[in-house]
Amino acid sequence: MSQPVTIIMIEDDEGHARLIERNIRRSGVNNEIVPFSNGTAAVNYLFGSDGTGLDQKGRALLILLDLNLPDMSGIDILRWVKENRYLKTAPVVVLTTTDDSQEIKRCYELGCNVYMTKPVNYDRFANAIRQLGLFFSVIQVPAAAT
Amino acid sequence: MTPDAKRWRAIGQILLLAAGLVVLTFISAGSVHLVNRAREDARWVLHTVEVENQLSLAQLQLHRAESAQRGYLSTLLPDFHTDFEEAASALTPALQRLSQLVSDTPAEKRLVDEMLPLVNQRIEEFRNTIELALTQRVDDATRAVREGIGRDAMKHIDDLASQMRTEEDRLFVERTTNADRTQSLAASMTWVGSGFVVVLAGISILLVRRSARARDDAEALLRDNNLNLEATIDERTADLREANDEIQRFAYIVSHDLRSPLVNIMGFTSELEQLHADIFKRIATFARASASPAPVVAAETEPVLEAEDKQLAQDFSEALEFIKSSIAKMDRLISAILNLTREGRREFEPVRIDTRELIEGIVTTVAHQAAEAHAQIRVEPLPHIVSDRLALEQIFSNLIDNALKYLKPGVPGDISIRGRTKLGFAIFEVADNGRGIDPKDHRRIFDLFRRAGAQDKPGQGIGLAHVRALVRRLGGTMSVSSELHSGSTFTITLPIKWTGSNWKRAS
Repeated sequence: MSQPVTIIMIEDDEGHARLIERNIRRSGVNNEIVPFSNGTAAVNYLFGSDGTGLDQKGRALLILLDLNLPDMSGIDILRWVKENRYLKTAPVVVLTTTDDSQEIKRCYELGCNVYMTKPVNYDRFANAIRQLGLFFSVIQVPAAAT
Repeated sequence: MTPDAKRWRAIGQILLLAAGLVVLTFISAGSVHLVNRAREDARWVLHTVEVENQLSLAQLQLHRAESAQRGYLSTLLPDFHTDFEEAASALTPALQRLSQLVSDTPAEKRLVDEMLPLVNQRIEEFRNTIELALTQRVDDATRAVREGIGRDAMKHIDDLASQMRTEEDRLFVERTTNADRTQSLAASMTWVGSGFVVVLAGISILLVRRSARARDDAEALLRDNNLNLEATIDERTADLREANDEIQRFAYIVSHDLRSPLVNIMGFTSELEQLHADIFKRIATFARASASPAPVVAAETEPVLEAEDKQLAQDFSEALEFIKSSIAKMDRLISAILNLTREGRREFEPVRIDTRELIEGIVTTVAHQAAEAHAQIRVEPLPHIVSDRLALEQIFSNLIDNALKYLKPGVPGDISIRGRTKLGFAIFEVADNGRGIDPKDHRRIFDLFRRAGAQDKPGQGIGLAHVRALVRRLGGTMSVSSELHSGSTFTITLPIKWTGSNWKRAS
């Protein structure tokens, strides 16, 4: 990665968060990972206190998003991110247990960049996350729009 | 309105009609009677007139006889003699007739009886004078006339006649009054009767209108009730639909939320497995290090454990294996529930289906399994229906799969699919000669995750639950008839023309 990309991980299940982080690290990705266990905290961080997202101006972000959050729907966060002029260029990886085709279609329509279903089988899960990590290490992430 | 009141109203109407009939009969009878009486009265009035007439006739004949006698005596013309005889002969029948006519009134009868000898006496006197004249004794005759012989008798006769006339006049007045009274009675009776009939008719009309209104009210009430019923049914249907949707959502959410911790359990179990390998590797290293300061074994080689540690490692692995297999099973169950709810959320699309072609397609896909099981599958002619193609495919492939799966070992399988139609429904039967199902399990086999018989085949216990859910959504029913060791027959009843309106989802 040409810039220090920060990975924003929005995942309410701490176990999942831990497993994801471990497997990403195992794939050799050393970027900063900022975890959030609920939607509100993540939204506050992403859009700042004024809700404009100006704080993130010029930063390179990659968002890992779970759809089933306790306080709000991940789909709403996805929509807000993709509607925000500073954040819309940040790649969003939806990583969730839902494998409903309607849901997947909806996420892509809203501008999600990658949709992944968490496999229950841990080997496959670990493998998927490691591949995602490899993916992170090769993709280019633009800085948030100026 | 209470049933009692209704009955009373009905009885009231019948009574009213009966009363009307009685009044009409009474009036008719009265009218007939009065008319008869009026006719009688008229006859009596006529009778009076006739009596007076007859009396006058008798008097006239008498006076005619007298005139003829006088004429003959003065002229001696034989014409007068003839006249006299005529009058005299007419007089007797006239008097007899009069006597007959007045036979009903004794007073007059008496007068006539009194009159009769006097008249006869007068006639005799006339005849005597004529006889005298005939025998050339005209003087004697005229003298007799001149002396006024019989004048008193004549006067008496006139008296009697006038008495009779007076009597008859009195009778006439009386009878006329009678006739008038009868007539006015008949008239008033007719008026009163007509009034009665009009009143009764009025009451009847009132009652009929009242019952018509009551009927209209009842009809309106019935209509309202029907509307209410429809509204209630709609409401209940909406409630049911909502409940069903809620169950679907519930199953969906539950299966999702169950999956999340499962990912953790599986993940950390794998981590534990990893740790287990690391730990026992280290134990082996330490054990060897304490036993003999031999050169360090390469990390890649399998750690050699002491007997005690080996046992521990095996127990550890066994525990982890149980956890992992349980997780795998739980995952399969949750996936099954998810698939079922996903099926439940799919919109069905009614299309025209050649059922036989569809089932032959399924049979082709299972031909390999059938050959392995030495089974033959016969598809008989089946009715075409309008339904959802995918659902129908799932229903029949599940049933045919089951039939192939649970054949009797060592017996060539024989599976047949039959169909017929009845009252707008198509009835399909999938029959096999397999191992059969104990009747006590007939309900169970349709429940989710439940199976029957020897558990020697892989499966989750989902197929039949899924099939029944599909059949119900297609507006049909399904049942099984089977005995252990003697094959099973699954019967599916589906509407020939399914429109999708039943079970149409609101969302």
